[in-house]
Amino acid sequence: MEQLLAARAQMGTSLAFHIAITLFGVGLPFFLCITEGLALKTKNPTWLLLTRRWAKATAILFAIGAVSGTIISFELGLLWPTYTKFAGEVVGLPFMLEGFAFFLEAIFLGLYLYGWNRLSPLVHWLCSFPIWIGGLLSAWFIVSANSWMNTPAGFVIQQGYIVDINPWQAILNPSMPYETTHQLLACFVATSFGIAAIYAVAFLRGKRDDYHRKALLLAMMVAIIATPLQLLSGDLNARFLAQAQPVKFAAMEGDLYTEKGPPLRIGGLVDPKTGQVYYAIEIPYGESLLVYGNLTGEIRGLDAFALQDQPDAVPVIHLAFDVMVGCGCFALLITGLFWLLFWRRKRRIADNPWLLRGIVVAGPCTVIAVICGWMVTEMGRQPWVISGFLRTRDAVTPAPWVGVTFLVFVLIYLLLSSALVWLLLGLLRQPLPQAESIEEIYHEAEESVGV
Amino acid sequence: MTIALLLLALIWVGFIAYVVLGGADFGAGIWDLFASGPTARQQHQFITHVLGPVWEANHVWLIFLLIGLMNAFPIAFAAFMSALFVPLMIALVGIVLRGAGFIFRAYSIRSEGMFARLWSRVFSTSSLLTPFFLGTAAATVAGGRIRLTDITPSDLLFAWITPFSLSVGVMTVFQCATLAAVYLAAEASIHDETQFAVSYRIKALVSGIITSCLGVLSIALSITQAPWLWHGLFVDALPYVISTVSAGTLVLISLIMRYYRLASLFVILETALMLITWGVSQYPYIIPPQLTIEQAANDPQVITILLIVMVIGMVILLPALLFLFIIFKWTPNVHTTDAHRTEVQKEA
Repeated sequence: MEQLLAARAQMGTSLAFHIAITLFGVGLPFFLCITEGLALKTKNPTWLLLTRRWAKATAILFAIGAVSGTIISFELGLLWPTYTKFAGEVVGLPFMLEGFAFFLEAIFLGLYLYGWNRLSPLVHWLCSFPIWIGGLLSAWFIVSANSWMNTPAGFVIQQGYIVDINPWQAILNPSMPYETTHQLLACFVATSFGIAAIYAVAFLRGKRDDYHRKALLLAMMVAIIATPLQLLSGDLNARFLAQAQPVKFAAMEGDLYTEKGPPLRIGGLVDPKTGQVYYAIEIPYGESLLVYGNLTGEIRGLDAFALQDQPDAVPVIHLAFDVMVGCGCFALLITGLFWLLFWRRKRRIADNPWLLRGIVVAGPCTVIAVICGWMVTEMGRQPWVISGFLRTRDAVTPAPWVGVTFLVFVLIYLLLSSALVWLLLGLLRQPLPQAESIEEIYHEAEESVGV
Repeated sequence: MTIALLLLALIWVGFIAYVVLGGADFGAGIWDLFASGPTARQQHQFITHVLGPVWEANHVWLIFLLIGLMNAFPIAFAAFMSALFVPLMIALVGIVLRGAGFIFRAYSIRSEGMFARLWSRVFSTSSLLTPFFLGTAAATVAGGRIRLTDITPSDLLFAWITPFSLSVGVMTVFQCATLAAVYLAAEASIHDETQFAVSYRIKALVSGIITSCLGVLSIALSITQAPWLWHGLFVDALPYVISTVSAGTLVLISLIMRYYRLASLFVILETALMLITWGVSQYPYIIPPQLTIEQAANDPQVITILLIVMVIGMVILLPALLFLFIIFKWTPNVHTTDAHRTEVQKEA
């Protein structure tokens, strides 16, 4: 396999795996904080049973997220040494801050997972705050480093040297607010739909007791807040991209030519060679309306840019973008329907099997949406690794055998994913312990964790 | 002292923390691999119990080392990463598999099932391999085998394989095993697990003595293979070499006299001194003998910001970390040891 392609494939696989896992690593602790808080307030053991169950899933997902994150931090250097030379000089700070935030998470997660009967219930609950706050912060920092690659800032190039470095300015680069908001919301959307999907399956199988009801309602409650915000943030993101990264925008919208009042192309195969978009559904003036709010806005197509500055996977970028938007809209529709039916049936969860199946489908859809979104971000930035400053092919390692390491890592990811799925399914099938009071659960807790 | 050197010293402190904490985690995995006999299962449980709350935090120190070097010494970091591609990739696979193996085993539904046994092996085997490759990678840097220019493909593949680096790699494995055995002996004695304390004491003594022999061998090999290091050891770092040896002797003495907590302190001291010795003997080079710390340093302003951020971060983190260790390492856990002891009695 060609060196550059192998390195890109390995990095892409690693990122996709890491992001898919850490969505839950960041999102679940927030849910733990809510459910344990509710348990302490209402003294209802059901909330605490949910917390205990989700804490186990968090422990597993967090650990896998941590090791897959270690892979990324090594691979940045091992696969892209020239990139780290450049990025290290300017934008090392958010990486370091991310390290601290992650450290905070790891320390308090250790206390949380193993401290059920060593800490008082209140202190135990308080330990959940640094976990989810640390998780959000570390996601924020690392995505700000990524946004810097899209819109580099905080330095000047003089005679081939990087000078006038300002790390704060690098963190506060133009894309940062858009990208970080989108990713943080994604954690909430994916986690809430992930949880909802699991309990919707239970509902379909007739398990409709208080435990499953509480879990589904809480998940859908977070979903109805996070999903509309996510779509709004996506819209702001796209409009920003149209200005700040027009090449990426043209690729994701499938705009081959500069047009006034272009249609919105949904789906279809973009073929830059023949200059055609096949099988797309076109909504006249749609793209112009979305970007400018009028019918005559001009959007630069790929033809406005030099061939060597265009991404190499335009058809994939366009489809990934549409899949992301489609999945997001589907999730919004489902959560909207759920709450509509909930209120119309006087606060009872609708037992419509099609709605429940819709929730089950929306779970994986939201994760797919996030992965597709990252495919747009990363593939759409090509051929640059640091937009306008360093080309991906100039950043790759000279070391041989990258094809081999790519295969090794694909095998590792397959192994980890299957073990993870197996273990989480097993965890779900475990019978629920019976408990009379929350004190009893706290006291009995440690025996079943890790020992 | 320049700001770059100050920052490197701070990174080095993080590196020492990684070796004394994360290294011991590897060591515990090694003892897990060699746990045999009728108490094998209890030994596995004991190790899972000891590592559980702290292993994630212990391994974050490695990220500090990586990111600190990347931000403060980007040229050197890029050179390390190109030249050490093979050993670091293998170590990375090991780090991933051991973390995953540990959590999969700890959270397996049936602790004697196929799934748990398989991942248990993955955890312990990769705990043995990873420190070896990390040790050889470190020795490749110390031995002056990293080249900045005229790198040939065979350099990229084989530069890290020398008798010196292999010897240091094996020594690293035994050092991790010693650290873990000393801590485990101390932990067992806190929990009144006399049987385990006795067994880890012997393990600590044996692996400690083997580590010292490998240390002598590595130094002997460095005369021809890593002359820069050899020179540094005896010109600049001799007091540190002597202190390291003395601390090592104190570890052995306190183990013999069964002062396990004292032995833990001395083994931390000995490891720290060993790494300080390396640092001092390599000074002023970051890549001996081609690139000095000052030449590789990033813009002083960037380093200043990084330094301030690291100090503030540590001020926030260290109390939390201390709390974690006090809760789980200095407080005997009546609850689990009771359950555990009844189990042991039942089998006896």
